[in-house]
Order: sequence, then C-alpha cells, then structure tokens
Amino acid sequence: MKKERSKKYKFILYIRILSQIVFFVLFFHLILSTRFPGEDYIGNVEIFFHFDPLLALATILASRMIFLSFVYAAITIVVTFFMGRIVCGWVCPLGSIHQFFSFLFKKSKLLQPKEIKENHTTWKYILLIFILAGSLFTLNLVGIFDPFSFLYRSFTAGFLPALSYSISSFIGVLYKINLSSLGDSLVQFFESIDLNAIFLQGFFIGIIFIIIVLLNISQERFWCRYVCPLGAFLGLISRGNIFKLKIDNEKCIKCGLCTIHCPTQANPFPDTEWKSSECIYCYTCSSICPTGAIGFPVKLTPESIETIDLSRRKVILTSILGVLAAPFFRISQSTRRASEKLIRPPGALPEEKFLQKCVKCSECMKVCPTNALQPALSEAGPEGIWTPVLVPKIGYCEYYCSLCSQVCPTGAIQELTVEKKIQVKIGTAWINKSRCIPWVFGDSCIVCEEHCPVSPKAIKLVKTEVKLPDGTIKTPLTPFIDTSECTGCGICENKCPVVDEPAVYVTSVGETRSEKNKLLLDISQPV
Amino acid sequence: MKRREFLKGIAIGGIALNIRPRVFPQGKEYPDLALIKGDFPEQLTREAVTSLGGMQRFISKGDVVMVKANIGWDRTPKQAACTNPDVIKTLVQLCFEAGAKEVKVMDNPCNPARRTYVRSGIAAAAKKAGAKVSFPNPHRLKKMALNGEWLKQWEVYTDFVETDKIINAPIAKTHSLSRLTMGMKNWLGALGGSRNQLHQKLDYAMVDLSAFFKPCLTVLDGYRILIRNGPQGGRISDVKLHKTVVAGTDYVAVDAVGTTFFGIKPEEMLFLQLAVKRGLGNLNLEKLRIEKRTL
Repeated sequence: MKKERSKKYKFILYIRILSQIVFFVLFFHLILSTRFPGEDYIGNVEIFFHFDPLLALATILASRMIFLSFVYAAITIVVTFFMGRIVCGWVCPLGSIHQFFSFLFKKSKLLQPKEIKENHTTWKYILLIFILAGSLFTLNLVGIFDPFSFLYRSFTAGFLPALSYSISSFIGVLYKINLSSLGDSLVQFFESIDLNAIFLQGFFIGIIFIIIVLLNISQERFWCRYVCPLGAFLGLISRGNIFKLKIDNEKCIKCGLCTIHCPTQANPFPDTEWKSSECIYCYTCSSICPTGAIGFPVKLTPESIETIDLSRRKVILTSILGVLAAPFFRISQSTRRASEKLIRPPGALPEEKFLQKCVKCSECMKVCPTNALQPALSEAGPEGIWTPVLVPKIGYCEYYCSLCSQVCPTGAIQELTVEKKIQVKIGTAWINKSRCIPWVFGDSCIVCEEHCPVSPKAIKLVKTEVKLPDGTIKTPLTPFIDTSECTGCGICENKCPVVDEPAVYVTSVGETRSEKNKLLLDISQPV
Repeated sequence: MKRREFLKGIAIGGIALNIRPRVFPQGKEYPDLALIKGDFPEQLTREAVTSLGGMQRFISKGDVVMVKANIGWDRTPKQAACTNPDVIKTLVQLCFEAGAKEVKVMDNPCNPARRTYVRSGIAAAAKKAGAKVSFPNPHRLKKMALNGEWLKQWEVYTDFVETDKIINAPIAKTHSLSRLTMGMKNWLGALGGSRNQLHQKLDYAMVDLSAFFKPCLTVLDGYRILIRNGPQGGRISDVKLHKTVVAGTDYVAVDAVGTTFFGIKPEEMLFLQLAVKRGLGNLNLEKLRIEKRTL
C-alpha cells in the first residue's frame, strides 16, 4: 500500500515547506534589519505588515484614516479569494513556527493526533468579529492577536533579548577561560546585529509566546485552528478558491488518516464535508493518503459561506460584545488626562488617534538605537497595552534619529525626516533640586548640560548660592531648564549620575502632539 | 654587613647606568611643539608629525599602536564635536609608514558607538587607512590601579593599556566644567564605569588619567574648533574654522597651546596648573620651542 502514496503531492508538500522556510527567513531577516542602518533613512523593513488585510481593515476602521501603504493587502485578498488560505499554510511565519513545533511534538510523541468530534474552530471567527466590532467603535485591539504583530513583538521584546542575554553570558565565560579572541569575534558579530536587550514587559511577552507554542501539544497548530483572527478573516474571503479537495472514492479505503492529521481541522474526509475556509493548503492529507486518493483539482464553482459554522446568533452576540468593549476599555482616566510617564515616540499622533492606529507590533522598539522605547503596561490605559513608551531611565531619544517614525507600519507614528524630527518636542525635563548634586552638595556636576543635544542648550548652568546642612554656603554651577529649548529627549535623565531616581527627569507635558498637555498658555500664536 | 654592601652596590650601579650620555637620534634636536596652519587637515597632520622628527621617532617597526580619537558624539565632522576624520586617517597612515604592525582606533562615546563611529566619519576614514576600528567591548573592561592623587582605581578598557604605543588625537572644544576639552580630557573616553561621577572633581581626574596613560605623541585637531555649546555643539555657528593642527610629546604643552585658540591664557586653566604642579609637563609657551608654520 505504501508505494501508492502520491509522489506529486509529496513533492508539493516539500515545496510548501521550502516556501515556509523562505518566508520565515525573510521575516527574521527583516526583524534583524530593523536597526540603525548606518545612515539616516531605513528601507521598507515593515513590509510584512502591509500585506496584512486584517491589520489594514481594523486600523482603517478604528482611525477612520486611509493609510496608503496598506495597498499591498489587496494582493493578499486577491490571492486568498482565488486560492484559499494559502498564505496561512505557505507564507505566515507564525504558522510556520506552529507547524514546526507541532512536528517536533508529534515526533517526540507529546502530541498524538486524533479525530476531533467537537468543532471549536469558530472561536477565531468570534474573535475576529469582536475585533472588527471594536474597531468600528474606534477601539483597536487587532495588534494583540494579529499573527504578525504577535510574532514581531514576541521576537523583539521576548525571544531576542533573552537570546542576547544568554549570548552575553556565554561570551563572558569565554573571556573568563581566556578565549578572548573567540569572544572578540563573537562580540563583533552580535554588535553587528544590534539587539536591544532590555524590555520591561519582556518576561510576560516571552511567556505568552511560549504558552502559545506549547499549546501545540494539545492540538496541532492550535493558534491557527482556534485563535488566529487573520486566519479567520482569510477564511471568510476565500470564496472563489479554485483548487478544491476531491477524494477518489475508488481508491479511498476510508482509513480517516487525512482527517486525523489535518492540522487545521478542515475535515478532508468525506470531501463533501471538507471545509475550504479551514484548509490552509498544506497538502498533508494528499501526501499521507496511503492510496493517493486525495487530490486538489481545479473547480471553478464559487464556495458558499455555509462551510463556516457561524450562526447568526453568535455573530450578533459577538458584535454586541465588541461594541460594549469600547466604553469598557475606556473607564480609565488615560483618555481624559495625560499621564506624566506617557512619553510617546517623536511623530506619534495625538493620543486618541495614536491608540486607534498603533498595532503594538514593536517595530519602533526594535529599531530604537538606545533601547528607549518600551512596551507599555498600564501607562496608556488598558487599550494601550504594549504600545511604545519612552523610558528615559533605560534609553533616550537620539537627537538626529527618526527611525521609529520610519518603520511604523500604520502611521501611528508619522514618518518624519531628521530635520522635522528635531523640531518635535516629546516632553519636558525638570530638575529635582532635592536630589541634584550641585543643589544638595554644592559640588560640580554639569553632566545633564553636557549631554543636552540641542543648541543653544536647554539646560543652562547658573552659579547659585547653595546652603549646605552645616549652614555654610557654596556657589556651584547649578542646572536650570530652559523649557522652550527642551525637546524632552531624556538624555539628561538617562545620564544623570544620581542613578536610582535621577535628579533630572522628563515628563510628557509640553509634547508637540497634544493640544491639552501644555505648559503655558500661548494665545499670541495665530490659530 | 654583607647585605648592606650589596644594596650599596646596587644603588651605585643603578646611578651609573642612569647617567649615560643622552643620545639624540640623528644628532638633531626637535622642537617641543609643531603648530601648523593650512587648508587641508591631512597635510597639517603630516607636516606637524614630520616637524617633530617623523612618526618613526615615536613608532618602532612591529608596534601595535592605539590612536585615541574623540568619537564621543553623534555629530558630523562639520559640527566639530569629534576629531576630524582626516586627521585620524593621516595618523593611521603615518603609523603604518613607520612600520607599525597594527593600528587601532577606539573611543568609548557618550552617544551609542554604532552611531558616533559612523556619523563622525572616523570609522570609515580609519578603516580605509587600514586601522582596526572596534566598538568598546564591556568584556574588555578591567578595574585598574591608576594610582592618581585623587583617582586611585577605575574601570579601563584594556585596549588602551595592552598596546605598545598610544597616540592621543583629541579635538579642541569648549566644556562647561573644565572650560576646555582637549588632550587631557580625552582620556575619559578610555574608561568605563560611571564616568559621569568623575565630574565632581573633573580637573583632578583629567590630570590623574593623563599621568596614567602616557601617550607617546599628542596631536590636537584644531581644524574646526567648537567655541560654543561644548562639548557637542550642534549648530554650524558654534564652530570656528581654525585650520590648525598641533603636535607634541608634552601633552600639557599641547593643551596649553590649545587654550590660545579660544583666547584663554594657559595659566588660567586649573587642570594645566595641576598638571604642571605634578611635573607632567610645561605650560609656559614662551619657554617652549614651537615650530610654527603656515602651509
């Protein structure tokens, strides 16, 4: 019997694996390329996101703004319409990771596929409707579940920093055992790929990723089956797929292997109950069929949406849930009063619009040359989780750098030239005189002034009489902030020698993007 | 008694060895400083070193040389916050011409090295001349005994110590604490650790560090100097085209000449006074033999 397996479909299966590897390598390569390229402007490293129709639709719906880069998503839509969810099976890098780990789990007998009677694949459609209904009411949650955002964020803030840490420790050991030349070359290599190593949410983002991968132990491609809203979206639009599964009934021995091993529960047997919207064209069924009975011939009749088990009741209920979610997510005060810690990257839209557009993908955090941009937890309210916040204690906004604004895939951070960027104010620095070395000890310091990148400097040094605890008076150079020159870049806070709670610190007030978060009323300015 | 005699013998022998006649290479005395003015930084650098007797006076065949440039800030050459790349390039070339086996260029900058190395133009220029340009590698930091008067120990990048010769190649800029930053302040870039705490007694730190690193040659880039908003400037108007390069073995004297670029008298500078008091060099410009030339 074995000899009768279809060689043709085995070959297609290998081509599919090759395609998955190619796209995964491309995706990973683009992640690693998202760093300071040695010049002011970086290429289209965020291109993957622009092919994502769900990201496009949700963001455009939520922000009511068209973003032209999303035209590429039309290609995905057309391909999916005519060829089904081939993107899931052949392209999606997260899908490839799941498939790879499912393969490992199967080989190690952790996962033993069996036929599943109950159908939970509808969950992803429900999630999709929930997200889109939220978007309709300006709540953009797509970034949490979108596979590209999810994977990019997990790699940037979880996997790569952990990798970076382990490499660094390994190199440290090399130096300790006097293999410093090997250490040097390793250091040079990892310097060249330039990984940001500190992420406040890195632990949680990493753990979520690991859990999602481990879920493949319970079901093959668990995420793609039950969770992925992009998969659901593509399933919904794959109405004109021309390749349709057909079982040659004369050859079929009704062994059920195809259905057991189908990674997305598309139910290949019997072919009349094959769910085209679940099929990702991985060709597992057709290549493992012991008699080579399964094929995907061209058939030009359009598919009905009935193959998706979505009752009208479920659709309506979920939509209501999505609609209700918007106010629920906005109980926090974040939309009413600016948070002092919420320093957004330069070029970020006003907070409301920013939240509608940001898809929490971490592109900006990956490219930031000082590791300053961090995934938010509560600073921006519940809907702003994992959106970028500048944390000056970790890094600062490099004066002549506008990379974050260039790599943002949705325009939540408006693209800026370096000349435009240096005019943007993201916050204002303040001196805490009760902690500042000259103010407290009367000694010299000037570190904040020295690092201030604007010219003329936003930190001015003035000789001031300072009273010491014993009553004596010293006259050191003390720092004063010229708020009109300060851009809020945070280098002063970052470099302040008072380590634990710097004596100079930045808050978001005065940021260019906000009309309300202002310091002084300037009514002389023409409107 | 025998031991005392032995020690005495050693003492006398030591003195005898020390008072051998001084040998002047080629039987010629070199000027203390060379101050060259002109239009091209490469030419100025080459001429300044030649006036002092050429690079072979400082570098022997097979030497590993470290050129300590100032690559501190994310600024372009026209903003004059980092050493002129052409000065660095020429120094690297001169070292190789004198027979150096390897020339390294390095600095621990204030902005990320991956930006400053590129945007200052120094990495590309030095690499083109054949130098090994590497970022400061924290694994190569080592706490070292500096034995200074104030600074007893600090973390130093071993690259600056494990080398045969070291050439200091700073740029002349204003600084709000030491007033000016030139050669002696440049050594802060060889350190790791919380350098920002050295500012509490910066002039003392500068003197202790200069005494520790002992460069065989100091070449001060005064092609473009930063006259405002130091040490990183920003606007082109903060920069003055001064078209000068100064070279010398006495790093105190080099910095002393540098102060005159800014219309300051060397005697006014605290770190120079401290250095002279320690016997590290000379700041009295009238007593120095300075070869001044305009190309």
